[in-house]
Amino acid sequence: MRRAALATGAVIVLGWPWAAPRYFVFLASLIAVNAIVAIGLNLLSGYTNQLSFGHAGFLAIGAYAAAILTIRAPALPVPVALLLAGLVTGAVGLALGVPCLRLEGLYLAMATLAFGFVVVEAILNLEILTRGNDGLHVPAARLGPWSLATDTARYYLVVAVASLLIAAAVNISRTRTGRALLAVRESEIAAQASGVNLAAYKTLAFVVSAFYTGVAGGLFALVVGFVSPDSFDVFLSVDFVAMIIVGGLGSILGSVIGAALITTLNDSLAGFQNYRPLIFGAILVISMLFMPGGIASALRRIPGAVAWPPFTRRDDR
Amino acid sequence: MIRRASLLLLLALTMGALPAAAQQGVTDTEIVIGSSNSFSGPLAFTGEQITKFGVDLYFRVVNDAGGIHGRKVRTVYYDDGYRPQDAVANTKKLVEQDKVFAIIIPQGSPPVVATLEYLEENKVPLLFPYQSSPVTRGKRYIIQGMTLSDRSSKMMIDYLAGQRKIKKFAALYQDDEYGKSFLTAFEKDLARYNLKLVAAESVKRGVTDVSAQIAKLQAAKPEVTFLVLVPGPGAQALKERQKIGWKDTLMVSTGPLTDERYLALAAEAAEGVEGLSLWPDPVTSDLPGVKLYREHMQRYFPKNEPNRYSIAGYFAAMMFAEGAKRAGRNLTRDSLMAAFDSFKGFETGILPPITIGPDHEAQKQGFWVRVENGRFKQLTDWLKSE
Repeated sequence: MRRAALATGAVIVLGWPWAAPRYFVFLASLIAVNAIVAIGLNLLSGYTNQLSFGHAGFLAIGAYAAAILTIRAPALPVPVALLLAGLVTGAVGLALGVPCLRLEGLYLAMATLAFGFVVVEAILNLEILTRGNDGLHVPAARLGPWSLATDTARYYLVVAVASLLIAAAVNISRTRTGRALLAVRESEIAAQASGVNLAAYKTLAFVVSAFYTGVAGGLFALVVGFVSPDSFDVFLSVDFVAMIIVGGLGSILGSVIGAALITTLNDSLAGFQNYRPLIFGAILVISMLFMPGGIASALRRIPGAVAWPPFTRRDDR
Repeated sequence: MIRRASLLLLLALTMGALPAAAQQGVTDTEIVIGSSNSFSGPLAFTGEQITKFGVDLYFRVVNDAGGIHGRKVRTVYYDDGYRPQDAVANTKKLVEQDKVFAIIIPQGSPPVVATLEYLEENKVPLLFPYQSSPVTRGKRYIIQGMTLSDRSSKMMIDYLAGQRKIKKFAALYQDDEYGKSFLTAFEKDLARYNLKLVAAESVKRGVTDVSAQIAKLQAAKPEVTFLVLVPGPGAQALKERQKIGWKDTLMVSTGPLTDERYLALAAEAAEGVEGLSLWPDPVTSDLPGVKLYREHMQRYFPKNEPNRYSIAGYFAAMMFAEGAKRAGRNLTRDSLMAAFDSFKGFETGILPPITIGPDHEAQKQGFWVRVENGRFKQLTDWLKSE
């Protein structure tokens, strides 16, 4: 049953560029990029209960790192560039995560919010590297003999990376580390009493989350082909939070569904952005009221619907 | 296996559904064009005016008169809020999803520049972008609308340093492609008179407090201070100058800034300010094209005040309609571009006769204005930028 479902999913994902119109290939790439961010954010917020409103900042660091690497070292293979983008962002995540250990709830949200603004200001002022407000045009990246110049090529790259990172996240959630993170989320005191090193695991969550978002940032730069500070405003961070709340806190499948939903919604609202905050606000309030566990847990309440143990969290509920 | 077969079938169907030779965005009854524009963010007012009250105004006139060779023109717009990456996504959507024939009058240097490569690759005509960075000059599939910054600069410096013998210039500019392309051009043109800018201060995009910059500029004692800004901070600069009582400098606005919005925001602080105007006064001009524009506005959008944004969109639509008419019934992207290349002294009744040469610029001129009693008063005839 699970195998069949996975196979169907794989066929749909791999066949997508051949069946869908070109713009939807681009849109699907954006969804996959956002799904990676949502999973990264979920590892932080859904698993250790640390809410971040600064993930647009991490995304920006990854995007600029990959963009600058692609421009300055065109021979560099894409996976290396993406890995480096992830590592740089992870390092920044470590630097932010350690001081944030002392913060909780609202204060943590404020600190991460400020982090997002600081990153944008830094990009504006590091003009030699970033060209400030004008932004950077990202050339087509290279993978061995191929140039990733078409939407389809970029789509397959994004899908490959996303699958890898989803598999890694599923694995993390099933290991001792994943259980430790969940324990932190449920009760910090209880976790500590059971021998979980609170500081280490909370910092780890920050670093892994930043790494995921950094890699996603690198992919974002390649998919959109242009990065500028305006891309990474606070509303983007809020979109990411909306993705995991609507999708389901602590659920990897939920992260993907949330990313798909919010990205598609954003795209179909491109004609009237003034109403976006209103519509998003309504969606958030409704999902908090009627399905606090997000779509992922709502789905599990429907008998016979997606019941994949690895993709769900609290099976006992 | 079945899945693969059905996928192949689907693929075959999509391929088969594509019309063989017809041009994207052109059917027997319709031409679809559009753009990504600002309907939110700092240039939202401008964006709405140039598209919904400018371009669409002229096309309503055209469509009510039977269209172009029997085809009605339909427009599609998406909001990018002046964000380059949204402009990229919107433009892809327009080309690939809405299947537009051409892009008309997208706004702002950063968003437009971000889409250039994509449009060029896909050979989509980019018509009359509402921005002034010279990167759009002389491209195969671009017809530039707004007078480019280097031409504006040449007219401004030739008039001020040449005719009026002014020697000390300074500039307050927006820190992006728009501001910097002007700054580079000012420096180059001043060098021809063996002059230099005595001071140049930048304003970050989106910032409205310019008091520190104004204080620094005042210390350099320029005779003329150029304002290369958008309406909000531009008006703020004038108010700040008035507040600190800085009287011995003439503030001069660049073409894109010289507009009614900036005047209204600055109110009485704008008195005596000069600038380069790219358009005849949309409210008072007696030119036949401008009168007709006001009549059309009165007929279709009686509640909307005439302004130079809607007239810019109206002009762009008029140019498109003329190009499409000349291209004939067999309208393709290449026949449209060839039609534009044939423009020799085309009368719009709004601007001087339009001739499009190899530089692909439709608009190359401006004239000098001074603000008197809250309106722009024309001081010179059209200036030359060749």
